[in-house]
Amino acid sequence: MIICIVFLLTQDLQSCTSFHTVPPPGPCVRSEMFPELNSILSSSPENFTEGEFILLSDRQADASFLIHHYLTFYLRARCRVCFLGLVQSFSHYSVVSQRLGVNLTQAKEKGQLVFLEALKASPGVLLGDESSDKTAALDYLRSPCPELRGLYEFVWNSLSRAGGEDAAESWGPPVLIIDDLSVLLSLGVSAGAILDFTHYCQATICSQLQGSMIALVRCDDEEYDEDEESSNYLLKALSHQCSLSLRVEGLSTGYCRDIHGQVEIWWRGRGIKNQRKIFQYKVHDKGASFFAPGTSRAVL
Amino acid sequence: HLFSLLLTLLKTADLNCVYSPSDTSSYSGRDLLKYCINCALKREEDVHVLGFEVPEQELRSELDSNNKHLFHFHNAYSDPLGWRKQSSFTVEQFSAENITRLVRETKHAKASVLVIDSLSWIERHHNPVAICQQLHKLKKGGAIRTICCLLHMDLHQQGIVESICHLANTVITVTAVNNALYAEAKTTHRKKSGKVMQEEEFFTVMENLSLSIEKRPSQSGHAQVHSDAKVDPASNLTFNLRLSEVEREAKEKVALPFVFSQEKKSALLKKGQGSGRIIYEPDANDDFDEEDPDDDLDI
Repeated sequence: MIICIVFLLTQDLQSCTSFHTVPPPGPCVRSEMFPELNSILSSSPENFTEGEFILLSDRQADASFLIHHYLTFYLRARCRVCFLGLVQSFSHYSVVSQRLGVNLTQAKEKGQLVFLEALKASPGVLLGDESSDKTAALDYLRSPCPELRGLYEFVWNSLSRAGGEDAAESWGPPVLIIDDLSVLLSLGVSAGAILDFTHYCQATICSQLQGSMIALVRCDDEEYDEDEESSNYLLKALSHQCSLSLRVEGLSTGYCRDIHGQVEIWWRGRGIKNQRKIFQYKVHDKGASFFAPGTSRAVL
Repeated sequence: HLFSLLLTLLKTADLNCVYSPSDTSSYSGRDLLKYCINCALKREEDVHVLGFEVPEQELRSELDSNNKHLFHFHNAYSDPLGWRKQSSFTVEQFSAENITRLVRETKHAKASVLVIDSLSWIERHHNPVAICQQLHKLKKGGAIRTICCLLHMDLHQQGIVESICHLANTVITVTAVNNALYAEAKTTHRKKSGKVMQEEEFFTVMENLSLSIEKRPSQSGHAQVHSDAKVDPASNLTFNLRLSEVEREAKEKVALPFVFSQEKKSALLKKGQGSGRIIYEPDANDDFDEEDPDDDLDI
């Protein structure tokens, strides 16, 4: 019951968060909101690597700007996107995406975007309301149900019909974005069950369908012990499986107005292809800028 | 040629041996696993892989093409838990009997090598004690000559890692060095006589799955170039940080404020011009006692 109230409260907060008034997008909207990041990763909506498992993580910082980046990136690339929104409402992403030049509502109507609004659907599941057909996806809320099989099946159903039903629209490779995995740990799902779920997602979406998968794991500094049910463990296990890892951290020297933190980008490969680079970043109204450490415009 | 324990062990597999490459997320032990598989194929041995972590094409690539028919991949990657109802090998089927049966199904059944990728995956679904028991049964069973299992050390508690390593005759722990351009392998090999050999070597796995071993990371490797090139911090700036000769001389002449030099000492000892003296005349109300006021305290 208590959990139920928390969900409802969070949802209320979302709707009354004040955003700057957004002017309607004009005829020429800048298409690159994260130009430096695209250049660092050598990718663009027209040209990106397929079959990638991108792991986003943060520690004492907020990596959600990367989630917004990838959501708009893949929608612009005309991919079919399945978005598991476990921590925020649809309107939250919609408002931010509008500022980045992408209309989520339109994408949803066209069938390009499948959005799981877990917050909205959760009270129904917890209160035992069997009407919604999406309840199988949220089976993990019903204990004892340790596996995320229902959630996986939701993802599979959303992305496996790529191009089949809508003959007019042929979308690109399927993409799964999860925001975020750590909240599942808080909801009582074991780390092993989460890893089984990500395994199946990777095996079907990345390997079989040659699509991409992006997952966010949020870590806490207090969990530095050997606990096998912590976000740190999840992060380590997923690092073994991912092809690209972006780790966001606050600056070790503390809060800075002009530099919001640093990102370690780790291309996992063999020999020379295995590279780790650190960049600092600043999030602003319409994106984020990335620069080499110490070269922020505020510092030079 | 320097003796390389690592190379010797991987190239000539002893009977009834269990190898365990252990890695962390900073460097994947899978390349070493592939090298192990390749060596076995070159020795014309049947290799059976229980593949949980990576798909078949990723393991098959770069393997010796001559004996590819000896490579048997048991697909536990696509559907290890039966969720899609199209599983080839599930994690539930991990047992000595099932594996022995799988191996015996191949026609050659000569010396068979079992490769497990990875034991960490299985450990999420099976009791570690049960895993050790099954591995032990396989070791003694006779159908399998060599077992090679990949283990991700950073995902388990130390006790579990040690139990599995205890079962193995050879444990190869790999860690990244120099941003994973090289890796360090700590090999511990326990011979049948009980003698334990240990060695630390540095290696890289090249594109064609050839292993290059060095006793210490080469001094002239790519990674060294970055540390040798001196970066001049005063270059490429919009303002000038350098000193001209005149400025440098003037800088060196400046007397630092808190350095106690001879001039300062004589200045202090000299009596001043009399401008800073304090003259006090105690009046009738002052109790001007020359003695120490704290004298009566018993400290």
